[in-house]
Amino acid sequence: MKLLELKSVTKQFGGLTAVGDVSFVVEKDSIFGLIGPNGAGKTTIFNLITGIYKVTEGEILFEGIETNSMEPYRVAELGITRTFQNIRLFKKLTTYDNILTACHYNARYGLLDAILRNKKYRVEEKGLLAQAEELMNIMGLEDRRDIIAGNLPYGLQRRLEIARALALKPKLLLLDEPAAGMNPDETARLMALIKEIRDNFKLTILVIEHHMDLIMGVCERIVVLNFGKKLAEGTASEVQANPKVIEAYLGEEEVVVC
Amino acid sequence: MNWFYIKGILILSGINLMAVLGLSLLTGFTGLFSFGHAGFMAIGAYVTAMGTMKLGLPFVPSLFLGAAGAALASFFIGRLTLNLKGDYFCIATLGFGEAIRLILDNVQYFGGARGWPGIPVSTNLTTVVIIDVIGVVILANLIRSRHGRNFKAIREEELASQTIGINVFRYKMTALMISAAYAGVAGGMLAHLLGFIQPKLFQFIKSTELTITVIFGGLGSISGSVIGALVLTSLPELLRTFATWRLVVYGAAVVFIMICRPQGLMGGYEITFTSIKGLFYRLSRPLGKKHAVGGDKK
Amino acid sequence: MSVFLQQLINGLSIGSVYALMAVGYSLVYSIMNFSNFAHGGVIMIGSYIGFFAMTAFELPFATAFCLAAMGTGLLAVLIERIAYSPLRKRDAPFLYFIISAMGVSIFLENIIIASPIGPTFRTYPKVFGVAPFMVGGVNIGRLDVMMFFISAISLTLLIFIIEKTRTGMGIRASAYNLKASALMGVNTDRIIIIVFGLGGLLAGIAGVLFGMKYTVYPQIGNITLKSFIAAVFGGLGSLPGAVIGSILLGVIETFTSGYLSSQFRDLIAFVLLILILVVRPRGLMGKITEDKA
Repeated sequence: MKLLELKSVTKQFGGLTAVGDVSFVVEKDSIFGLIGPNGAGKTTIFNLITGIYKVTEGEILFEGIETNSMEPYRVAELGITRTFQNIRLFKKLTTYDNILTACHYNARYGLLDAILRNKKYRVEEKGLLAQAEELMNIMGLEDRRDIIAGNLPYGLQRRLEIARALALKPKLLLLDEPAAGMNPDETARLMALIKEIRDNFKLTILVIEHHMDLIMGVCERIVVLNFGKKLAEGTASEVQANPKVIEAYLGEEEVVVC
Repeated sequence: MNWFYIKGILILSGINLMAVLGLSLLTGFTGLFSFGHAGFMAIGAYVTAMGTMKLGLPFVPSLFLGAAGAALASFFIGRLTLNLKGDYFCIATLGFGEAIRLILDNVQYFGGARGWPGIPVSTNLTTVVIIDVIGVVILANLIRSRHGRNFKAIREEELASQTIGINVFRYKMTALMISAAYAGVAGGMLAHLLGFIQPKLFQFIKSTELTITVIFGGLGSISGSVIGALVLTSLPELLRTFATWRLVVYGAAVVFIMICRPQGLMGGYEITFTSIKGLFYRLSRPLGKKHAVGGDKK
Repeated sequence: MSVFLQQLINGLSIGSVYALMAVGYSLVYSIMNFSNFAHGGVIMIGSYIGFFAMTAFELPFATAFCLAAMGTGLLAVLIERIAYSPLRKRDAPFLYFIISAMGVSIFLENIIIASPIGPTFRTYPKVFGVAPFMVGGVNIGRLDVMMFFISAISLTLLIFIIEKTRTGMGIRASAYNLKASALMGVNTDRIIIIVFGLGGLLAGIAGVLFGMKYTVYPQIGNITLKSFIAAVFGGLGSLPGAVIGSILLGVIETFTSGYLSSQFRDLIAFVLLILILVVRPRGLMGKITEDKA
């Protein structure tokens, strides 16, 4: 079943085409990989899907609903959320508050309820606290509860960003280079975590990554981008065998080394 | 130093506090900087005075009217400018604040630049204290709710707030309108303390003073704003004898704070009953167990 | 028709002085990305230096003029060292710079009021004579002409420095990206000092000219709000924008007070500011910045 569909999506900045005529379909409950050299337009696609940029041409459909012209928060309400390449946590808030803030969507009380601290507020707020607590435990962050997010070690910051995204109970989670700056050991643990999240939270994951072993290890389907265009699509082994992909990556030594 | 004098200072501090609390929500918690809040105070002052003088309403309902007037003005201003980035929003609010004052200069119905005398003196210490307490409670409750957390999220990281489903524009608008309403109430109380208002009372420098007070108290701290408003209103009054030099010291102090203690008095912390209890607890057990800190590898 | 021409000339001369101030603002903004509200204080001090050099010390105009410009140049650098440089080292958010600048502005204004100079309004001696030129039935004030020419020469020199010298190249590079310029070997600390120095020089010139046109008083610096509007109008951070914006603002203002009412003059300026911010926030020629996710 189709969850997300990009139909000949193009994004131009002035005269520069960052993404040109890209189409692909992400199936429900899959882990989908997006790879390509630096500047291939991967993050731009994430920004288009989440509504941060507006598409110049083409269509993005999520569960059959066109999301092209939606504000980012509306896209999030539909059930799409993401992490960022250059981690964007609420740096001065604690681990717990980061998660708790993102849980807001699961309560409905209004401003007046909050000011009056009425029953609706108390009941729903209690629910939010419990939800945040639970997420923290699942993600193994409970012993860092009151630490300011900006002071967490790098790997845990990435983990917290995923936890914050999960607080929305999304249907589709976009991970932008989740393993950037991680050592092989941490990367292996992250791979396990990604699979675990998918199974436990029953969601679909779209991941951008440079670590080839991570991509090849977890992704069921992969799209390769180069210069904003789709170069190839298929399973890990299909993509690896594709001569065009090999050509694009030749000389891109740092990618091969990773 | 008699009671009458102290009472006067307290009333003035309380009025300033109201405006500072509002600005604290906008600046300290939502991360938007305004240099136009004197304009909202002006609207509050004139609309409240209109309520008591022209419409014959009692004082408190007129205050509500003033608050609503300021909030309404902020709604239109917000629609136009909330999408502007950092510095530009600041400049836009500055422009609006000045424009409001200059318009009032030309509205003869309210006395124009000469001012509007004969406003009933209805503000007293009791009303100010009651209104301040209500103001603090509303703000504190708001901050401790999911809405308060969303304000803070926007302050910390706007883009990430969007992607976790926060309607950033709406929350900014809410913060702006609430803060304008607070400023409006402050203006209304000021008008009914002085018995006379004039556009000149609400110059650009007034907006600056409010922002400085919020920063002095510490961004993101309600207790900081309270202490800031009390200290920064009463200090210049107490230094009246040095009349001409106090503003020189004030200016230098502002620079000094920015350089040496930019987090302000409270640095984002709050004085609450729990924190006072916690302080005593820690004092009584100096060798207490240390919590795990960040930065270490697991 | 002659009234129209006269208004136009008035507007041009006021606008050119706005330009001197706006350029100082814009220079600092282009490199440090904050609105230097202390600029008005610097202009005010320049106005006083010129005034006292000419009255108390009875120096000739040219000497007084140079003294004022140098004094404010130094003052601007001093302000940068004391009030901004520590913030810069800490990478503080722009608001702290603005607040610090306002502190400086409050300090400067009130130190003049508190000092023996006091809050009185003072009038410059008449240097250029009062009799206006008559050109084709139009009265042209000598002072207006001088204001325009002095401003034009100063601005030309500034543009020459920025466009043609090595230092100017450093300034342009820093305006484009301060951190990257530092990495490429530009001594950005030096550049910032030079930028404040240049802005200060122009502020001193503007202060003297303004003092001559009107009077000298401690709040004269408030006039810089206008030059600030002009800078936004032209596009914050763009020098040609600041000049064009200033001239336009000067002309619009004089026409407003000439044909409508002088009461609307300031209101028009602020309404203009809001209109620009709403319709085209980057001004006529400002640089565009886009957030990258």
